[in-house]
Amino acid sequence: MVERALPLGETLHEISVDVGRVPLRFPAKVPWAIAMVLSLMLVGLFLVSITYLFARGVGVWGLNIPVNWAFAIHLYVWWLGLGHAGTLISAMLLLMGQDWRNSLNRFAEAMTLCAVVCAGIEPIIHLGRPWFFYWMFPYPATMGVWPQFRSPLEWDIWAVLTYLTVSFVFWYIGVVPDLATVRDRARKRGWRVFFGIFSLGWRGSARHWDRWRRCYRTVAVIAVPLVVSVHSEVSLLFASGQIPGWHSTIFPPYFVLGAAFSGFAMVAMIAIVMRHVFQLGGLVTERHLDVLAKVLLASGLMTAYGYVFEIWDGLYSGNVHEIATIHDRFFGIYAWSFWGAVFFNFLPLQALWLRSVRRNTMLLFAIATSVVAGMWMERYMILTTSLYKDFLPSSFGVYHASFWDWSTYIGMIGVFFTPFLLFVRYIPSISIFEDKEVLAREHEEARRG
Amino acid sequence: MAEKLLGVLAEFENQDRLLDAAKATRKQGYRRLDAFTPYPVEGMSEVLKLHDHRIGWLSVIGGFAGFFGMLAIQLYVNADYPLNVGNRPILAWPAFFVVDFEIMILGAVLTPVIGMFYLNGLPQLYHPLFATPRFSLASDDRFFLYVDSADPKFDSGKTSAFLKSLKPVTVEEVLE
Repeated sequence: MVERALPLGETLHEISVDVGRVPLRFPAKVPWAIAMVLSLMLVGLFLVSITYLFARGVGVWGLNIPVNWAFAIHLYVWWLGLGHAGTLISAMLLLMGQDWRNSLNRFAEAMTLCAVVCAGIEPIIHLGRPWFFYWMFPYPATMGVWPQFRSPLEWDIWAVLTYLTVSFVFWYIGVVPDLATVRDRARKRGWRVFFGIFSLGWRGSARHWDRWRRCYRTVAVIAVPLVVSVHSEVSLLFASGQIPGWHSTIFPPYFVLGAAFSGFAMVAMIAIVMRHVFQLGGLVTERHLDVLAKVLLASGLMTAYGYVFEIWDGLYSGNVHEIATIHDRFFGIYAWSFWGAVFFNFLPLQALWLRSVRRNTMLLFAIATSVVAGMWMERYMILTTSLYKDFLPSSFGVYHASFWDWSTYIGMIGVFFTPFLLFVRYIPSISIFEDKEVLAREHEEARRG
Repeated sequence: MAEKLLGVLAEFENQDRLLDAAKATRKQGYRRLDAFTPYPVEGMSEVLKLHDHRIGWLSVIGGFAGFFGMLAIQLYVNADYPLNVGNRPILAWPAFFVVDFEIMILGAVLTPVIGMFYLNGLPQLYHPLFATPRFSLASDDRFFLYVDSADPKFDSGKTSAFLKSLKPVTVEEVLE
């Protein structure tokens, strides 16, 4: 028997109540307030860090020649990767008719938005003069110069801005009907006005739904290649250079898969926490976690294949610099990041072959945490091990993260969680109408037997 | 002020009853119909003969505009400020393709989204339907069929009587 995504006992009305009550009569005020205070403290740390950074320059980080790309760029790749799972869950699984996605897509999309914002900030604060970031845009400057469209660094801003805009639009058109549901259930005038304005007067007309559905699916169809193109473009920041360890055609798929892998891990972590805190076990069921775990396992194995191929690629090149970089990854001073990535991304993951582990929230959470940490190390490894020893021994050097590297990173976690917490507090964090659609279909199937 | 009758609204318990009612109402010759449902009901567009293909075309147009617009910008800025880097070609088509692709996607997403809201007449924060007592259930778990008074066959008494014969939960008049 095919397992259902949602329990049949639920009614359409119960879905409105279960999800709609979260913004209207918030069930977890105290944990939320504690999380918000912690998160705001991290934002404070971030503000202090970038103030110091802007005053003193990027030298406050451990950057120097030859390692002049480190935390800001590796975290840019890492944050953006975390974000990609949201789009993939929303768009790809929508098109494949995977009903189980409907309980996860909304907060996964919100996670995408928050992660892309963090990702977008990283390269900007890494600019020596961040206030000139608008030089990346082709505007008729008095100096008569234009941005360099033949450079991957210029491609980057277009990829990220497009991704941010599309993620926002996709999330917003998806949330409008649910905002209308909450508007209609709200009793207090303030809430009615708030949800009334942001639901744009949505009234569920068949004409509107018809256009809406076409539009939503169109955006979904386009969003999938967008994810692939964005992270491929990110990998070209590295692969277009001739630095050993970067200059490889495996990079675009390797980066895209790694991104999806870390993102699915993040979605699993957030799903487990939200389901627990908001008692949404009826909508985010064990089956959802089970499927997420399977996707995590599959994308993890593909990432592992990327590791194998990356090493093989270097060895097969016969190039002494490539082989030296592989040697450095295995045995150099940053070997911890290579072996850490292999360990955290590969070993705990294998437990997911067991169904009992996939359905155990504590174990799944621990494995997902391990993956997020492992991908962090992988991105760090890719940057530092390639940069610290390139071609000439005279230009070798080392990099150590400074206090301000860490404080900017830890502060950025607050920049991620603050808008996310606002989202779970004020916006229905599970798609109400899409879950109703699934439930109606399941009732139909149950009737037909 | 005399209140003008805009149409009649019939409430149903589930999507199947609504679909049956919509089919029956169309069979009676009514054409100015609309349905209000908590989620997009499978098959409703077919029953009401709603097929707006403009959304897809808007996306195509937006994509083309983005692609060629961005290509034109890149060609222009490179021709206007030719920067010779190791004698690499000034007009580097493969390099231009990356940004082109992104902006093509941006155009192909923004035009259908803006077009969808525009064609739907949204945002429209107030609508007479919202003043109908039970209409708020349309976003919860009830399914509504609406016959507009502009329909040539519309007759306030007969239409209401016909809708009542479809065994709805309630039938309400929508007033301006």
